[in-house]
Amino acid sequence: MSRATQRGLLGAVLLLGSWEALARGLALPAYTLPAISDIILATWQHRSLLASAGWYTLAEALLGYAIGCTAGITLATLLILLPPARRVVMPAMLAINAVPVAAWSPLVLLWLGIGMASKVAMVALAVGFTIFLSALAGFDRQDRRAADLLRSFGAGPIALLFRLRLPAALPLIAAGMRVATVRSLIVAIVTEMLGAQGGLGWIIYQAVVQIDFVQVWSAILVASVLSLSFFGLITWLEQRIIFWR
Amino acid sequence: MSSALAETAAAMPASAPPLLEMSGIGKRFGAVQAVQNLALSVQPGEFVTLVGPSGCGKSTLFNMVAGLDEPDPGGILRFKGRGCHARELLGRVSFMPQRDLLLPWRNVIDNAILAQEIEGANRREARARALAMLPEFGLAGFEKQYPHQLSGGMRQRVALMRTFLFERELLLLDEPFGALDALTRSMMQRWLLELWQHHRRTILFITHDVDEAIFLGDRVLVMTARPGSVKLSLPVNLPRPRDPALLTSPEFTALKREVLDAIEEEAMKSFMASA
Repeated sequence: MSRATQRGLLGAVLLLGSWEALARGLALPAYTLPAISDIILATWQHRSLLASAGWYTLAEALLGYAIGCTAGITLATLLILLPPARRVVMPAMLAINAVPVAAWSPLVLLWLGIGMASKVAMVALAVGFTIFLSALAGFDRQDRRAADLLRSFGAGPIALLFRLRLPAALPLIAAGMRVATVRSLIVAIVTEMLGAQGGLGWIIYQAVVQIDFVQVWSAILVASVLSLSFFGLITWLEQRIIFWR
Repeated sequence: MSSALAETAAAMPASAPPLLEMSGIGKRFGAVQAVQNLALSVQPGEFVTLVGPSGCGKSTLFNMVAGLDEPDPGGILRFKGRGCHARELLGRVSFMPQRDLLLPWRNVIDNAILAQEIEGANRREARARALAMLPEFGLAGFEKQYPHQLSGGMRQRVALMRTFLFERELLLLDEPFGALDALTRSMMQRWLLELWQHHRRTILFITHDVDEAIFLGDRVLVMTARPGSVKLSLPVNLPRPRDPALLTSPEFTALKREVLDAIEEEAMKSFMASA
């Protein structure tokens, strides 16, 4: 085990230990802070409910993430190939992006209903913008000398895009995709709280209404495990694919 | 054997038209006249080197010959005996910029075949051909390595291989050895001469280094300070193949004296202009 891993584990143990000691020692009520052991126990007891809710949320987040990434990269690519269109589209894009994503959720729920579609749409919107902006920044970072070299070999705009600009933009696109993993779950859960038929956000909302605070914490625990795993997976893929950095 | 190539090159104007011919060429960028009334010609098979004070418009000249920049109207540009626009030279001249500009996500072989890939060549055949050329470029066994795993000299050889594999009659090399240490540089120079003699291409070579210019070239062109034009065209009648011992011979020193005097004069001019 590496030194960094050891220290990380030590930090986690210390945090959880003091949480447990604080909750038990001060006999805090559950609505303030339940003991960590109680949360883990309750999570285990409700594992099938939490697992299905977790899958539900994860499915929304992954689907929205995939749509958002595809749309963001495609749009950025099109604007790079058509620079005049970029000047027309960018101000509107930045204006839409300036509104916090959560503000759109009541409208999206109204349009798409309280099923999965509205969550997927919200996640796609949030992820799409992140990826779109990082892809554009990545494309803009191309080396003019390298582009000149390829042009001297007779490369046209399409060859330049696939042989130079897209690979050169990959590190920034991947960094955007890494950040967007966590964002996708946050947006899915927040939207579920506003109206849903299942998922972790829905569980949290129901648990608060039923004054079951340990259940709230259980759902948070599951959400953070999902979020960390998704983040870890994309980070691992990033290191695999973008080996040259 | 002695100076056979230089003699062929000198004898050629009568029989064959120059591969590249420029006259009255100018290029202005905003308020800066980078190149003015520039004239030069390069014979097929000739190795021409170009020296000049920094900022004299050497790179502007190269960009025009590579087809990346259009000269201002009024000049004459002829390639293979036919007048043309600079942009028509895109894809017809093999250009190697100062930095190696290897693509970090491609391994040695795939960087070497980049130009052929852009031409639409079959990737597998291009790879096979490049693989067979690796030993000649001192890269045998390195085909799967990525640029960040190579030394500066090796990266430069990959870039040269990419330039050679793009089979065009005219090679433009912009200070290809500028970033290398002295020892690697002198080895690369001799290796480049062998390569040139073997492949029979025409080379136009920019450098800062007067020794390098004389050691490599059939002819040394000295550029004036900005606005750049050709001040001196000096034939180098030294025997080939060239040996490092040549660098200390009286003939070499005499040529060097002449080139240095011309450069010195221009450097003073540009120094006075900027002071």
